[in-house]
Amino acid sequence: MNYFEVFGLPRVLSLDLKALEKTFHELSRRYHPDYFTTAPAEERQKALQMTATLNDAYRTLRHPVRRVEHLLEIEGFKPDGSKVPKSFLMEVFEINEQLEEVKAGSAGKEQVEALRREVEERAKGFEQQLQRAADDWDKLSAAGPSEEQRKQQLSRLTDILSESSYIRNLQRDLEETS
Amino acid sequence: MPRIVGIDLGTTNSLVAIVENGTPRVIPGADGSNLVPSVVFFEEGGNVLVGNPARAKMIESPRNTVFSIKRFMGKGLADVRDDLALLPFEVSPSSDSIVRLKIFNREYTAPQISSFILRELKRNAEAALGEEVVNAVITVPAYFNDAQRQATKDAGRIAGLDVLRIVNEPTAASLAYGLQERRHGTIAVYDFGGGTFDISILKLSDGIFEVLSTNGDTHLGGDDIDEQLIRFVLADLKLDESTPSLPAIRAGAKKAKEDLSSADNAEIAVESLAYRRRITRAEFDKLIEPIVERTLKSCRLALQDAGLQPSGIDEVVMVGGSTRIPLVLSRVQALFGRVPHTGLNPDEVVALGAAVQADILAGGKRDMLLLDVTPLALGIETMGGVMSKIIPRNSTIPASASERFTTFVDGQTNVKVHVLQGERELVQDCRSLAQFDLKGIPPMPAGLPIIEVKFLIDADGILSVSAQEQRTGQYQSVAVKPTYGLTDEEVERMILDSFEHAESDIEAREIIEARNEAERVLRATAKSTERTEFAQLSADEQAGIKLAADQLQEIVKVADHRAIREATERLDQATHHLAEIIMNATIAEKLKDKRVREIE
Repeated sequence: MNYFEVFGLPRVLSLDLKALEKTFHELSRRYHPDYFTTAPAEERQKALQMTATLNDAYRTLRHPVRRVEHLLEIEGFKPDGSKVPKSFLMEVFEINEQLEEVKAGSAGKEQVEALRREVEERAKGFEQQLQRAADDWDKLSAAGPSEEQRKQQLSRLTDILSESSYIRNLQRDLEETS
Repeated sequence: MPRIVGIDLGTTNSLVAIVENGTPRVIPGADGSNLVPSVVFFEEGGNVLVGNPARAKMIESPRNTVFSIKRFMGKGLADVRDDLALLPFEVSPSSDSIVRLKIFNREYTAPQISSFILRELKRNAEAALGEEVVNAVITVPAYFNDAQRQATKDAGRIAGLDVLRIVNEPTAASLAYGLQERRHGTIAVYDFGGGTFDISILKLSDGIFEVLSTNGDTHLGGDDIDEQLIRFVLADLKLDESTPSLPAIRAGAKKAKEDLSSADNAEIAVESLAYRRRITRAEFDKLIEPIVERTLKSCRLALQDAGLQPSGIDEVVMVGGSTRIPLVLSRVQALFGRVPHTGLNPDEVVALGAAVQADILAGGKRDMLLLDVTPLALGIETMGGVMSKIIPRNSTIPASASERFTTFVDGQTNVKVHVLQGERELVQDCRSLAQFDLKGIPPMPAGLPIIEVKFLIDADGILSVSAQEQRTGQYQSVAVKPTYGLTDEEVERMILDSFEHAESDIEAREIIEARNEAERVLRATAKSTERTEFAQLSADEQAGIKLAADQLQEIVKVADHRAIREATERLDQATHHLAEIIMNATIAEKLKDKRVREIE
């Protein structure tokens, strides 16, 4: 299932969220099961399926990370092994150790704040990286890329996602601890 | 299009409403009251009373007068053990997957007891509209899980209703509110009822009511506030929960709570214990503070999920009877930094909204559309007892997700799937929804079959599952066994039971009415045969009256309303001439009196 198609969009990563919402509302008004209560069972079922797909598509596309994950899925891109750099993993490991201290209650308030700031900064960094890579993908696909260029760009997106997932996990852990 | 009514099946009170000429209105019961107390009284013979007459029995017959049954919907015994400590009900030992209350040696599940309330509302609607009512929209707390929603739908089916939609209470309230208020903006609906708490944050744009997030607690409401007061009184009296005076204490606590909504202090009075104690608003606030704080915590989480600050909310709408508590109002106002709306009656707004949604389904209002969300993440159990989420919380419904499963052993033809709902990482901390077997997988080497399972949450927030083996394209049979609740067969049987019950209800009522009438005629006959005019009748006539009266005396003991009515009619006929004579004599007497008075 290509969610971009549900919205009549090409496989682009920079989306106008206002326009996306407008289309979502228009399509909801067309297909929502509420308007098919008195229709035959077959039509009712169809309305239910269409609306579920529409909602799945909207949920996926309006979220910057899920949008990229979906693109990778429909592009059928399979990375050859994890390419997360060792140095990055070491940094994550260090942050994680500090987080354990916070959880154990042995960290001071300032230390917790510093940790939170660091994780947030890194998360913001990844957001920007993802945005740049997304813009590049859009430019590239508009120009009609070679197979090699396409793969390279998808691979870059994959790397950013897998690295940022470590940070997202840390973020979630921090939230749960506080 | 047949009529569709909107029903608010509440913990404390239930209501039915309908849209007429574009305006929703609540349909009152025979006693003129809009609220039908959600109380069901069981008579020893199996007769059932619902609403105000049932509530009147709560203190004298606590063991067979059921209230707050909504708290038991979709629950197993382990879930409600704490509640049962304060409730006088007997529970059947076979209550693990669904609580069964034992009343006069019959067992009743929560959907069955709720169905009596729904049937009463159905009757009220039918009496007011003068036609049969079959289609309904029923509201539930937004934070109800799959089992609780299914239990509500089952209750509707048992009551003979076609439940076209389950709607979330705060969202329903927003529909009623949106009819007369703004078209754009962000609103927070704070819904604090008798048994449950919900907070929903919605975005309104040109008739589309889009829920951004919802949070809550399906076990937090006015009942918990009553419980605080009850424990306060028990401590004061040095009594424990097992005291037979508990129903009387509960009544006293409820009364004091309600008084404190408008007064600075109130008296908790339990007459049977000669107990009187003044409680100030400040004391009360201190007791309930932790409960109110829990609702605010839910509000903060909902705001976070919606990606909003409190200042991003344009309007706050208050729903549910517990929002009358001054501390609740002031805390909500402080959190959002604005005065909440209390314009609509907090007891009625959900039912009115349900009627609006019913009208949308009936094709009345096409400009309004409600886009609701699922309150809890849906997931499946994976290796190591970890829950893997496949549909996140606050996803707009209907929503779906596909998951691929494979085999671990060569030739394996079954795969077990465990479906869960909840936000926690570990299976043990989530709510088990159902288990099912993917059966009939073509025998293949391990890992080769790919079974794609599609999970679909419909617009009611209820899950269904279908599966397809990808290599053969074969659909798999999926027999889902719900962890909590009734199986389809059980619901079918209860529907049949309810027909019998309904028929025997009507039968019983007819007999009572026929007997009342027979006794009235017998008393009148006895009186008139003592009068002097009786001698004016022929001997045949006198014998005829005696015979008819004797026959009726006998027949009235038989449980056959038709025979009773016929015998009553015969006696009535036999006394016809006597009645005439007496009437004439009375008139003559009156005239005489009048003349005497006129002369004077």
